[in-house]
Amino acid sequence: MESHPLLKKREMIRYSIMVLFSFFYLSSCNEKLEQNPNKKKELVETAETTPVSINQLISNLEDSSNKDVIVVAHRGDWRNAPENSLPAIQNCIDMGVDMVEIDVRETKDGQLVIMHDETIDRTTNGKGRVKDWTLDSLKTLVLRDGIGHVTTIKIPTLEEALLKSKGKILVNLDKSYDIFDQCFEVAKKTGTLNQIVIKGKKELEAVQKEFGKYLDSVFFMPMINLNDSEAENILNAYLNKKIPVAFEFTIPQDTIGLIKRFSEIRQKGASVWVNSLWPEHNGGHDDEKAVIDNTVYDWFIENHIDIIQTDRPKILLDYLRKNNLHQ
Amino acid sequence: MKTYFKTCILLFIIGISNLLQAQSNSGLEKSRANIILDHLKHPSKNYVLAVSHRGNWRYAPENSLQAIQSCIDLGVDIVEIDVRLTKDGHLVLMHDKTVDRTTNGKGKVSDFTLEEIKKLRLKNACGVQYSMQQVPTLEEVMLLAKDKIMINLDKVEGETVREAYGVLQKTATVDQAIFKGRDSVEFMKNKYGKLMDSIIYMPILIDNTKNPEKYVDDYNKELSPIAYEVTFPTEDSNNFKLISKLNKMGITVLNIALWDALVAGHTDEMKLLNGADTSWGWLVQHGANGIMTDRPEELLDYLREKGLHN
Repeated sequence: MESHPLLKKREMIRYSIMVLFSFFYLSSCNEKLEQNPNKKKELVETAETTPVSINQLISNLEDSSNKDVIVVAHRGDWRNAPENSLPAIQNCIDMGVDMVEIDVRETKDGQLVIMHDETIDRTTNGKGRVKDWTLDSLKTLVLRDGIGHVTTIKIPTLEEALLKSKGKILVNLDKSYDIFDQCFEVAKKTGTLNQIVIKGKKELEAVQKEFGKYLDSVFFMPMINLNDSEAENILNAYLNKKIPVAFEFTIPQDTIGLIKRFSEIRQKGASVWVNSLWPEHNGGHDDEKAVIDNTVYDWFIENHIDIIQTDRPKILLDYLRKNNLHQ
Repeated sequence: MKTYFKTCILLFIIGISNLLQAQSNSGLEKSRANIILDHLKHPSKNYVLAVSHRGNWRYAPENSLQAIQSCIDLGVDIVEIDVRLTKDGHLVLMHDKTVDRTTNGKGKVSDFTLEEIKKLRLKNACGVQYSMQQVPTLEEVMLLAKDKIMINLDKVEGETVREAYGVLQKTATVDQAIFKGRDSVEFMKNKYGKLMDSIIYMPILIDNTKNPEKYVDDYNKELSPIAYEVTFPTEDSNNFKLISKLNKMGITVLNIALWDALVAGHTDEMKLLNGADTSWGWLVQHGANGIMTDRPEELLDYLREKGLHN
C-alpha cells in the first residue's frame, strides 16, 4: 500500500517525536530504578521498630479467627548469633518475631539448659552428651557460631532464656515434654507460665493422663502428621473433647485431603501451625524456595495456616507485613 | 522534500545518540570487578574494601554459589573462598579437609570424585541439610563472579596454584582472583617460576613471620604485590608497625576482623559488644584499606554511613 508522500512526511515527524520522547522517558526510568533500593530499605526499617506487648502476643495466639499470622523462629536467630543462645533470642525480639523455638535438655545434675543436639560437639567447644556434664562444667564452655568458630557466648540455662523472653516474646519449649515437671518449676519461678507453648505427638487420652495437671496452666499443642493413618481420628478426638490452642500439622504432600479442614479447625477455635522449615513439613512450600520467590508463602495463607515456624524470620516478616498479616 | 530530509537527519542523530548511550552502559564503562581491582591497586582514604569470609554464610551455606551471589547483591568487593582438589583433579569449594561438617556426606574431599561430591547437599549454619545447594566447582564460582566481584582464593597456597590458574584462564578471570600465602617470595618463585608474574598474589604477614621487614622488602623487590594481608595479635607486634609503612608505599593493607589474635581484639564480635567504631572503625584509623568479616551486611552499612564505600 502506497501512502501519500505528504502523509509519509507527517508520519516521519511524528515518529521522530515519539523516538525523542521515548529516549527521555527511558533515561528517567534509569534514575527511578537507581533510587528504588533505598526507598525499600526505609520501609522495612520503620516497620521493624513497632513494639508489641506480650499480652497482645498471647491474645493473638488464643484468637484463632483473626488474620494475623504468628511467626516462630526455629532455634532463635541462628544466622546472626549462635543457635539457642541468649543473643539469638534477643535478635528475635528486636526483629518483631512472635515466638522463639528453643530446645531444652537436662544435665547430669538435673539442671535444664538450652541445647539442640544430644551432644555438645557441634555447637560448643566441648565434647560429649549433655547428660554427662554438670551445669557448672557446661558453663565453662562457649558456643560456636554458624561456621563452627568459637564465640564468647555461654550455653544458657532454661531460666536465663525465660528471663530474657519474659514479657517480650512467646517461647516454644521443644524436647520438654518428658522433662516438663522441671520445666514447669522454672517457668513458675520466672513468672513466664503464660508465655510458654509445649507440643506433643500423643493422643488426647495419653496427654490428659501424663500432662493433665498442666493443661490449664500452659499452652499445649498436639502434633499430627497428616500422613499418619490415624491422623483424622486423633484430630476429631481433640476437636470433640478438648479443643487446643493450636494443632501443629506435618504435611508431606500438599494434596492431602485433611488440609481442606483447616478453615473449619480455625472456626472451632484452634490455630493451625505448619513449619516452613523444610519441604517434608509443607508439601514443598519451604523457606529455601521462599528465598528465591517469597510468594511461596501464599500457600500458607491460602490454606488458613496462621502459625508458621521458619528458618527465615526476616523474609517471612517482610512478606507478612507487606500483605498486612503482621504488625 | 526539505522537511523529509531534515527528519531523516534528526532520526539519524537520535539513532547515533541511542547507540552511544547503549555503549556507555555496557562496553565502554568499566565492570564492577575492574573498579574493585582499581581500588586494590590504588588504595585511598576514601574507600575501604569489604571482604566476606566464605561468602555470606549467614544467608546461605558457607562456600556455596548462593552465598557468593548474596555478596554480589550486597555490594561486597571481595569474597574469600576455600578451594580443594577432588580425587579426580577438580577444584571444588570446601573449607574443611572432610565434607562432614558442611554436607550430608562423610569423608575426605580428596577421596571423592567430582561426580560423587556433586551428589551431596550443603548444610545450613544450624546443621540442617535441606538447602538443596551443591558443592560448587571453582569454575562455576568464577563464571558467577565474572565482571561482578573479586575472589580471594584460600587453601591453594603452595599446592594448587597451577590448577587454579588453569580454571582462571579457561573462564577469562585471571585479573579477578587474588592468590595468597605465607611462604617467602624465594620459595614461591622457586616453586612456580614465571607463573607468579601472571597472577595477583597477596603475601600474608602472620604472627610467626620471621623478620617481617625483610619478608616485605623481598616481596616488594621481586613481585611488587599490590596488597598484603596483615595480622597482628597485639599493637606491639612488628606486623602492626609495618602497616603505616605499607600505607606510605601505596600498597593495600587487608585486615582480618574474624578473631582476636588477628586484629588485637578489634573483631566483628567487638562491634556487637562495643560498637563498630571500636572494631572496624579502629582498623580503618590504623591503616586498613580492606576488612575481612563474617558480617558483610553490617560492615557495608557502617562503611557507607562513614562515606567509605559506594
